[in-house]
Amino acid sequence: MAKLLVVDDEANLRLLYAQELSDEGYEVVTAASAFEAVEKLEAAPFDLVVLDIKLKNESGIELLQRIVKERHTLPVILCTAFSCYKDDFSAWLADGYVVKSSDMGELKDEIRRVLTKKQKAALAAG
Amino acid sequence: MDWECCWSTDEITPEGCPYIGEGEEDLYASHRRRIVEKCVECPRFKNDLARMKGAGYPLSDVLPFILTEFQEQKAQMGAMLSFLNSKTREIKFLREVGLVLQTSLDLDEVLSIAMTAITAGKGFGMNRAFLLMTDKERRNIRGYLGVGPKDYEEAWRTWEDIGRSNFTLKELAKNFQKTKLNSEKVKFHDILNQLSVPLADQGHIFNRALHGKKPILVENALNNPDLDGGLARILGVDCFLVMPLISRNRRIGVIIADNCITHKPITLQDMQSLETFAFPVAFALERASLYERLQEEVDKQKAANAKLREQQELIVKMEKMALVGKITSSIAHSIRNPLMVIGGFARTLLRGTPENDEKRSYLESIVRETRQLEDVLSEVLDYSESLFPVMDLWDINELVTTSLAELAGTLEQAGIACQLQLAQELPMVCVDYKQISYCVKTCISTGLAAMAKGGELRVESVLEGDAVLLRISDSGKALSKKAQEALTAPFYQTQEMGAGVGLSLCKIILERQGDSLTILSRPGGGNTYSIRLSTRKENI
Repeated sequence: MAKLLVVDDEANLRLLYAQELSDEGYEVVTAASAFEAVEKLEAAPFDLVVLDIKLKNESGIELLQRIVKERHTLPVILCTAFSCYKDDFSAWLADGYVVKSSDMGELKDEIRRVLTKKQKAALAAG
Repeated sequence: MDWECCWSTDEITPEGCPYIGEGEEDLYASHRRRIVEKCVECPRFKNDLARMKGAGYPLSDVLPFILTEFQEQKAQMGAMLSFLNSKTREIKFLREVGLVLQTSLDLDEVLSIAMTAITAGKGFGMNRAFLLMTDKERRNIRGYLGVGPKDYEEAWRTWEDIGRSNFTLKELAKNFQKTKLNSEKVKFHDILNQLSVPLADQGHIFNRALHGKKPILVENALNNPDLDGGLARILGVDCFLVMPLISRNRRIGVIIADNCITHKPITLQDMQSLETFAFPVAFALERASLYERLQEEVDKQKAANAKLREQQELIVKMEKMALVGKITSSIAHSIRNPLMVIGGFARTLLRGTPENDEKRSYLESIVRETRQLEDVLSEVLDYSESLFPVMDLWDINELVTTSLAELAGTLEQAGIACQLQLAQELPMVCVDYKQISYCVKTCISTGLAAMAKGGELRVESVLEGDAVLLRISDSGKALSKKAQEALTAPFYQTQEMGAGVGLSLCKIILERQGDSLTILSRPGGGNTYSIRLSTRKENI
């Protein structure tokens, strides 16, 4: 069972993510801030991070850069209300990009795609 | 005694004197003027004098002395009159030319009047003239314009044409500027090309004339051991005049004048007249050249102002757009999150609600309406984002200079000297300024990190085929093969490269824009980061 870390400052959204992604068979851990996310990343291994760009008084992009630098094998999917970040090169470091939608089909597809890609890369690396 | 000449008759008829011509009829009735102007030189009068002497007239011995003295005085007066007439003509001519030279700011007009004045028969009447001017850098004196015939045939044809016309000098110059100026520049191209001389060559005749501020008349140049015959051979004459053009102690140029067709000697008077003329010419040439340069600068300034205005307008537009973007983004955040919560939970509930439950239609309505609101929101956001110009044509040299200026403090702090070599006249390249500036700064920062112990950074721009190439070279430790591989495998271990994920991101940015980044590490030390920006992109 893949273990996901969902980082979003909206409590209701964290609840929704947890509900929907658990139903998909993932083990979901949530974090309300970048600080909490880092703590959780240090405490246990994760297979993927779903990250909001705009966190309260924090930048999801900075957290993304930190994850890429320190845990370059851990894939990150940005899930945000701002579709314009798709064209911002600072967001290109992420493995996936999804605009927030009540239909979470796109996010679920993206998680599957990224995890499959990660598994294939791990197999290729032996 | 019956005299042969009419000197003793108060008034005569036309038959009385055969030496009175057309237009001199008033002399028939003017006794005194007739004696002074005609009789003293008349052979009949000389015969009468001889007869007087033979007849023993007392004054017949004295009269020849008086007559000879009178004739000499008359000849001198004539010469003086002729000299005065010639000077009057010269002053009139100089005034005519001077008026144009004083008022004209058009370099071509000044050149035309000056060169026509030197070569036209109504002017100084030299056969040919060359104008040499000092270059903008004031390093060399170069052949600029030659005026005159190339051979006898052309000479006679031209002089015949001018002789038939009754143009004033000003009209001749105007005609020359209109019909001949450009062709004359080409005609003497071969000679003009050979007349280039460095201003530092003090021994050269041009520089000697400029230094001495006096014209130099060269005679018998091919057989004069004191002179270098090279110039005479180029000109094809062994007698010519080198006239310096100096204005307010500035060396403007030199005029070479010769009589290559008629081989008429150049007199001291020719030289003095030309010297008088050289000053207004030099002044007018300097003024016209300065005006031309000023005009060029004004045009450049105008173009820069227009560009600045355009950019200001663009900035204002972008600021407005940014405001729109901020507002819409804020709305997006405020609306999209609650919508997601509402719609998301409605979907969760819907999934767990049996098909026959009447509440199902309510939940379906919530899901449908939420979806519709999300679609409207996406449309509004897409429109506002489309208003932002991202890809545009940019001057890459300007981009590099600005990026370097942003890092100036860091460079200074690190004690790194930066050598900038930017190719001139590069084409504009269609790029996302922000992104390429990020790439340039990342490459420089990576180079700086490789030179922890100081060194030299070199930034170059060159045009290579259909791409502008930016090369950023450091003199630091060469990157290992592994570090270089990090570029082709994004998010690979990049610690060694000192810029974190920077270079990997640069590669993604450049590839998305259809450009590329390569690294070359020299075994002896130093790395070169080459950013290749295609000039063929119109818009992406």
